[in-house]
Amino acid sequence: MPKSQFMDPDVLRQPGFVEFEPIPVNQYNKTIKEESKNFSKEDFMRIYRDMAIIREFEQMLLDIKTKSEYQGIAYNNPGPAHLSLGQEASAVGQAYLLDKNDYIFGSHRSHGEILAKGLSCIHKLDDKELLTDMETFFDGATYKVVEGKEKDKGNVKDLAIDFLLYGALAEIFARETGFNKGLGGSMHAFFTPFGIYPNNAIVGGSATIAMGASMFKRINGKPGIVVSNVGDASMGRGPVWEALNMGSMDQITQLWEEGHNKGLPIIFNFFNNLYGMGGQTVGETMAYNILARVGAGVSPTQLHAERVDGYNPLAVIDAMRRKIDILNNQGGPVLMDTLTYRMTGHSPSDASTYRTKEEVDKWAEHDVLVNFEKKLVEAKVAKSDDFAAMREDIRERMMKIVKLAIDDEVSPRMDLGKNPNIIADLMFSNQKIAKMEDRTPDVLIPKEENPRVQKIAKKERFGFDKNGKPVSKNKVYQLRDGLFEAIIDKFYEDPTLVAYGEDNRDWGGAYAVYQGLTESLPYHRFFNSPISESAIAGSAVGYAMSGGRVIAEIMYCDFIGCCGDEIFNQLAKWQSMSAGVLKMPVIIRVSVGSKYGAQHSQDWTSMCAHVPGLKVVFPVTPYDAKGIMNSALNGTDPVIVFESQRIYDVGEQFHEGGVPEGYYEVEIGEPDIKKEGKDVTILTIGATLYRALDAAKELEEKYGISAEVIDARTIVPFNYEKVLESVKKTGRIVLASDACTRGSALNTIAQNITEMAFDYLDAPPVVVGAQNWITPCYELDAEFFPQKEWIIDAIHEKILPLPGHVAKTNFTETEQIRKNKLGV
Amino acid sequence: MATPVIMPRQGQSVESCIIGKWHKQKGDQVNVGDMLFTYETDKATFDEEATVAGTLLEIFFEEGDDVECLLNVCVIGEEGEDVSAFRPEGAADEAPAEAAKEEAPQAAAAPAAVAAPALSNTAKENVFISPRAKNHAEKLGVDVRFAEGSGPNGRIIERDVEALAQSGVAFTKAAAAAAAGSTDQFEGTGIGGRVTTGDLKKPVAQAVSEAMAAEEGVAYTDTPLTNIRKVISKSMHNSLSTTAQLTLNTSFDATEIMAYRKKLKNSAEKLGLGNITLNDIVLYAVSRTLLNGHEDLNAHMLDDKMRRFNHVNLGVAVDTPRGLMVPTIFCSELKSLAEISAETKDLAGACQGGTISPDLLTGGSFTVTNLGSFGIESFTPVLNAPQTGILGVDTIVQRAKEVDGEIKYYPAMGLSLTFDHRAVDGAPAAKFLKDLKNNLENFSVLLAK
Repeated sequence: MPKSQFMDPDVLRQPGFVEFEPIPVNQYNKTIKEESKNFSKEDFMRIYRDMAIIREFEQMLLDIKTKSEYQGIAYNNPGPAHLSLGQEASAVGQAYLLDKNDYIFGSHRSHGEILAKGLSCIHKLDDKELLTDMETFFDGATYKVVEGKEKDKGNVKDLAIDFLLYGALAEIFARETGFNKGLGGSMHAFFTPFGIYPNNAIVGGSATIAMGASMFKRINGKPGIVVSNVGDASMGRGPVWEALNMGSMDQITQLWEEGHNKGLPIIFNFFNNLYGMGGQTVGETMAYNILARVGAGVSPTQLHAERVDGYNPLAVIDAMRRKIDILNNQGGPVLMDTLTYRMTGHSPSDASTYRTKEEVDKWAEHDVLVNFEKKLVEAKVAKSDDFAAMREDIRERMMKIVKLAIDDEVSPRMDLGKNPNIIADLMFSNQKIAKMEDRTPDVLIPKEENPRVQKIAKKERFGFDKNGKPVSKNKVYQLRDGLFEAIIDKFYEDPTLVAYGEDNRDWGGAYAVYQGLTESLPYHRFFNSPISESAIAGSAVGYAMSGGRVIAEIMYCDFIGCCGDEIFNQLAKWQSMSAGVLKMPVIIRVSVGSKYGAQHSQDWTSMCAHVPGLKVVFPVTPYDAKGIMNSALNGTDPVIVFESQRIYDVGEQFHEGGVPEGYYEVEIGEPDIKKEGKDVTILTIGATLYRALDAAKELEEKYGISAEVIDARTIVPFNYEKVLESVKKTGRIVLASDACTRGSALNTIAQNITEMAFDYLDAPPVVVGAQNWITPCYELDAEFFPQKEWIIDAIHEKILPLPGHVAKTNFTETEQIRKNKLGV
Repeated sequence: MATPVIMPRQGQSVESCIIGKWHKQKGDQVNVGDMLFTYETDKATFDEEATVAGTLLEIFFEEGDDVECLLNVCVIGEEGEDVSAFRPEGAADEAPAEAAKEEAPQAAAAPAAVAAPALSNTAKENVFISPRAKNHAEKLGVDVRFAEGSGPNGRIIERDVEALAQSGVAFTKAAAAAAAGSTDQFEGTGIGGRVTTGDLKKPVAQAVSEAMAAEEGVAYTDTPLTNIRKVISKSMHNSLSTTAQLTLNTSFDATEIMAYRKKLKNSAEKLGLGNITLNDIVLYAVSRTLLNGHEDLNAHMLDDKMRRFNHVNLGVAVDTPRGLMVPTIFCSELKSLAEISAETKDLAGACQGGTISPDLLTGGSFTVTNLGSFGIESFTPVLNAPQTGILGVDTIVQRAKEVDGEIKYYPAMGLSLTFDHRAVDGAPAAKFLKDLKNNLENFSVLLAK
């Protein structure tokens, strides 16, 4: 809510109409002869060749899936194959003008797109660049398989085509020599050196990610455009709409600074094959009738939306030429509705019960290869024999590639027997990179002049004064200051770092962590996002994938529910699904609420900890907040940083000397002993630490029990050594956090402790979590979240009966059974 | 009809015995007189013979089990008879092997001072115990079956083992029942340091000691101490650490007693005096000397008092394969030399055979120990505390003395008297030796008294 923009009721209340421009539908109508000045014979023939290669590739997979053989070569492929037979012209047309600086993102049905984009790049790249790309990719592991096997020995482009086909097919067949070492597979194959970015098995999954990649290009001034390829049915998904909106948000042209204030360079392309699995999008599951209509609803530019005839490669090329011009001049985004048709089912097992044979036959009459050949023959560009020879050539090449890709000798699978950690080692990149690019960061003032920095300089960096008295809230360096200090430092170091989320900029974030950041940072590095959690998280994934570093804020951890796919399926997985090609330096800041009821007060650390590929941290002291944020920001892995709204104002009570002014890191994964003791260990996640310390005090004073209190700080990764050492000493442990007890990550920790310290335990580890209810109103907080008394009661009831103690809560076995029986 | 075999009570002070070895297995045929099993107190080993014939139908306790006296140990009867009515409380169920693992205490060597039962008064067989408490118990060598679980659902947790170790290894069932509710502390003198009903009568002020964790190595062989060795070790150490003992040595002319013995040996066989030994003669002399002005040496030195005995209850040290034993000849001053001699032989035989009644192994007021047969010329006997004196009898050597201006050789027998200087001073002790020497050198006169 920038003050510069005046919401004037005198204007806003005026009557009027929203008017639309007509949206073009299949307006291309040029003949081959007319296009002859734009395309040489070689160009026409190359367009045909690329379509024919895709056709043969997909036909080969169809044969293998349905007949377990191709041209007499037997093979069984148990993996998926969503084929794009019939969609060749749309893919080749789209890729024709794109080079390696242009990024495409795809769907589950994107074999054709990656081949078309690859072939287009091979044509445009010189031999030297091609050789370098091939030789350096995975140290030449893929390249070595095809090297010297090309038909025309010494022809680098010929070799590169083999490389492309082989890399894609080996990936589909889950070979270690594939583009992603077989970890991506058919629906996720990609090859970034050619600007081919991840395809995505989640319908519409690429929209937000591609939008983030286009943000990276715009914010960091990178050449090239981004194409989001999703299907027509993905228009049914919220994240796609969120991407369309956020990618078109007004501030980019109205508030972002000169040089960054052109609309995002992105084409939201919908390969509209009229079906989402079996659901017919026009007439059954959608409302748009013509998909291009949607563009008019998103922004006054109508997203320059247009329907293009995807059955004519020249029509698509023509559209792409015009759209790229728009992106380069006035800016995007652009929406393309590329009409096409898949000749086979959703997958080889699809019996196409939802469409008639007449319909399929009719589209077959429009077959892109047949018709394009016919037109070229008619225009005397080439003879029929030339096309037949070309197809035979392609078939031979395909047979050669298939033989290589199914040969276990040259195309082995990952050997987990020999190297059991091969996938585990890919889950995190674990690098320390201070800045993702080496250039001067774009800032508005020197850091020393920042008002918040100056304010913090006057604060007491330790929570107690010389006499041990607590420093007042106004004077003490708070947890939010720790987060701020780490973040602003990194903004002045890493030029690619951006931060966004809801109410980040002028408001300073809902809990004032970012207060003062606005003064230092231009809009394009620090901005308010729409209330679009999917687009916030998804764009962060795309931004990082393209080479940048992001702090995305999801205001309340409960809202992770709105971006579950983007966090759990995208953010968590791309480092490993890319076999380490991609890095994911993304911080997702989420706060755990209090006082705000059932949809704003949940601790979802456990949910995040469950999904492999995410680091999950929950610092609860100013020292840890700064140190852990520094570690996260300096790393290359996705980190979900949980913050508790209960303690943003807490001062540092543990680290002697207070929070250091300079840079330091707290290693992610190391729990910290906040109070030493000998009789019982209390391990906490999150703000429960402070209640555990209160419990420890009472245990000591009333019962003479000395409790050791350990703050987990991190949930993933987690080093058990310190905790085991403690448990071996005390023999007893209570684990407490504000997460609901059932499925809490604490149960996993408790189980591991039981396994590893069983012989030292005097009682089973006991988990004290929140009730398995909705979070009630704040006034009933003490009935829902673990309290000091609960911890003591749990010790009394389940671990070490305390003489004279009267339990107020019910930790008996009977109650445990009853509650679980009821699912509460 | 099936007949149970009980654990015999060997003397009033015995509350339980440990089964040593089973000579018959369940299902074996048993005849009258067949050896069923051996059992031992901390002082002796006994054999139990079958008194009825039949099939050994059931065995309730395993080797090594500590069984209370009078409990049924096994049942003999006709094949197929039901024995469940005879199963004692606390015995192992059908699979006694399980219980065997939990068995006998890794007893503390020193007597443990024990708080009265906050402890369980029964040894439980199915105990719920935390892994930590179990490990701790093993380390401390306490028997968790005697711990009272204070954890959730009665689970034995670390602090219960700690309490058990602090307060001693265990109480016997009878002692625990008797002492319930008492806040006194007791010294355990029973098997493995267990507190017995006898111990309840003598509370001690202070808790003592903690068990030593046995260390293991490869360059030597560790053999667990037998109970008897533990008792010896304990009492010897106790003696040296709690008394002020010193030894006086002298010798006497044994000419007369040797002549007397020779005379007896040649006497008529029907008199049965041929087996009287020089040691018997010394015992006799001691029994007649102590109550003649040397009552302080026929006494027990207790903390705050001297207990002088009206009779000379003479302890006689006996070497046995299991170790040193000291049976008592009660009222020896009233017994004739023949009686003393016969009783000494009976007692020694019983000790060596392991059949000595435990009641005869206590109650001594003075002890005589003889190493003369091993050629020992003088030594330092260790007091059998709280007795105030112990006489060591040495070998005979030839010595010379001047008689009427002539050097004459005579057989000199050594005497080594250890006494507790807390109870007796040097001069009275020397006086006792002098009187004893006099009585021995003039033995015929003594006999006439």
